[in-house]
Amino acid sequence: MNEKSRPFALALLLLAGLAACASPAHAAFVVQITRGQDTAIPIAIVPFAAPPGASPFDVAGLVAQDLDGSGRFKSMDRRDMIDLPHSGAEISFDDWRRLNDDYIVVGGMTMPAPDRYDIAFELYNVLTRQRLLGYQIHTDTAGLRLAGHQIADKVFQSILGIRGAFATRVAYVLVLGHVPHRTFQLVVADADGANPHVVMQSSQPLMSPAWSPDGKELAYVSFEDKLPSIYVQVLKTGARRVVSATAGVNQAPAWSPDGRKLAVTLSNRAGNLDIYILDLATHALTRVTHNPGIDTEPQWSNDGKSLYFTSDRDGGPQIFQVPLAPGSRPRRLTFQGSYNARPRLSPDGSQLALVTRVHGKFRIATFDLQHHGGLRVLTHGRFDESPSYAPNGAEIIYATHAAGRGVLALVSTDGRVQQTLISPQGDVEEPVWGPFGSE
Amino acid sequence: MAGFLRENSRPAFLSIALHGLIVVALLFATDFSLHRANLGEQPVPIDATVVDSRVVRAAIDERNNAARSAAQARLAAAAQAAARQQQLQAQQQQLAQQERLAQQQLQAQHQQLARQQAAAAEHAQAIADARVAREASTRAAAAAARTALARHAAEAHAQRRAAAATAKRAAEAKALAAARARAAMQTDLQRQVAAEEHADEVARGPLADEYRAALQNRIIQAWIKPPAAHPGIDCLVQVSQVPGGEVTSARVTQCNGDSAVRQSIQNAVYRASPLPTPPDPSLFHRTLILEFKPNE
Repeated sequence: MNEKSRPFALALLLLAGLAACASPAHAAFVVQITRGQDTAIPIAIVPFAAPPGASPFDVAGLVAQDLDGSGRFKSMDRRDMIDLPHSGAEISFDDWRRLNDDYIVVGGMTMPAPDRYDIAFELYNVLTRQRLLGYQIHTDTAGLRLAGHQIADKVFQSILGIRGAFATRVAYVLVLGHVPHRTFQLVVADADGANPHVVMQSSQPLMSPAWSPDGKELAYVSFEDKLPSIYVQVLKTGARRVVSATAGVNQAPAWSPDGRKLAVTLSNRAGNLDIYILDLATHALTRVTHNPGIDTEPQWSNDGKSLYFTSDRDGGPQIFQVPLAPGSRPRRLTFQGSYNARPRLSPDGSQLALVTRVHGKFRIATFDLQHHGGLRVLTHGRFDESPSYAPNGAEIIYATHAAGRGVLALVSTDGRVQQTLISPQGDVEEPVWGPFGSE
Repeated sequence: MAGFLRENSRPAFLSIALHGLIVVALLFATDFSLHRANLGEQPVPIDATVVDSRVVRAAIDERNNAARSAAQARLAAAAQAAARQQQLQAQQQQLAQQERLAQQQLQAQHQQLARQQAAAAEHAQAIADARVAREASTRAAAAAARTALARHAAEAHAQRRAAAATAKRAAEAKALAAARARAAMQTDLQRQVAAEEHADEVARGPLADEYRAALQNRIIQAWIKPPAAHPGIDCLVQVSQVPGGEVTSARVTQCNGDSAVRQSIQNAVYRASPLPTPPDPSLFHRTLILEFKPNE
């Protein structure tokens, strides 16, 4: 190349460079995606390697059951698995991708000592081959179920960005027998209904259990002295105390976010029900509502500065909100339908779950607090009642009737997944989901 | 003697043969004379007269004696003659031998001379030949030298020419390559401009909408929206694809969502692979930008 042509070539190179630099921006083909699917995420939970001879508990099976139960995952049938890897190194990603799994959980259990188990597990994204989780859990035989729930929690959180609530517990009232020989039990069970423990039993009605924010205590109404009283019971020790036994109705206790107060429904001498706040340390009562109608079923806002409650002051039961500042007036929230009751606040404070009546049937619905977007009915039963959010807000537990009995049921907050939990016997009433840490 | 025989094998053989021939001839000559004598003495049966046997006998004996004597004489004469003949022959033989020897000697001398002459001639020839050969060799050498020189020269020339040709070709090739590169650059630019013009045209046309819709549908089907992907989420993902639509990478470049949202978006792109192919090749881009902006 001679000296003359060099500037020309340089100019060309410059031009080409400019063109190369300019083309990506120019060529950028932008496609906007405004929708997605609400389908379950396909995941493979490979059976864990078990110590020789001992197969105490199918931990991986429980993980799959939990994730499937959430409705957000669809675990692969083990019979369809062509390989059973126990560690990341053993995973043939292409195979699992061909089997349409987006994620895979592998793990193994060893027994370092009698009744001691070390569970190691890993979570991988099959599509990107990324290792998302790797944990070890040390436990004993009795703790294997909990370990399974904890693994499900980790997987749930890693993939969905929401803390899993499988390792939490629920409380409910179980009614056995028939009038006049009925037995009332206060039961605490794992969130999947397994492992139930009776924490209180009475021949007289038990009602309205409520978890303390730290998950260590339950408040409930007991008629054991023929008249309703509000008790608080420490779960670990079983120790309990009466916190409210005013004359008349003592009803619907609700813990303040800081756990120092209870909102309760009390009746005056005329039998009118209003909402009060009971200071647990001082036993001081503060009246919140002053209305001749029934005001009940209080629920604290997350900031502890207002209460949601049910009132029939406008006729039928509707949801109201009242700030706790003195002189504040309640504001009605629900206007859709003639019956909306029992509000429960979602953990993120964005919505309420409630019981609504649709064509004479009682169903669980959510009410959007932020956009006042109205009610969204989630369930399809006849007597669905007593909704309670899972602490992660992903699901709502409620009581419904199946085959003539009251049973526990779950619905995902988006209404996509519903399931009925195993209930051994009797009628289940008023389930309430415990907070994180209630295990 | 043996040496002599070897040297004069032909004369010796002739001599022996001649002697043999003479002996045979002599034998036959004797025999013939005997037969002739017998045939000549046969009595004639006509005119026979009886005579006294003794007289006859005596006569016969006499005659027989006479005949015998004559025969003996003839034999002696013959023997004499044969001896003479033999002697003569021997003399002749000797003479012949001598002559032969002389001739042989002469011949030998001639041969010697001839040999000498031949040798001389040969020598001369050899010298001549040698000279010729020398000369030829010299000439050949000279010729070879000349040839070699010529060849070397030719080769050197050829090499120089080849080198020159190679250099020329290289220079030409270089020039051509440079020209081609320039032309290619220009062509590329032109082509790029043309392609971009075409792409612009297509990109604004209904085919682009069709392609965009196909991509949207595929990815909407593949995106399992996590709960956190609520309205307000806005995420850009840079997708690399190969012709055929297989996704080779999906990188979330900008996103106000959490890790679950990012992961769901990344997975959606991989799950959608292979992506739909465009209805017009100009719409194919190795890099696509997908904007995830849920509105529900």
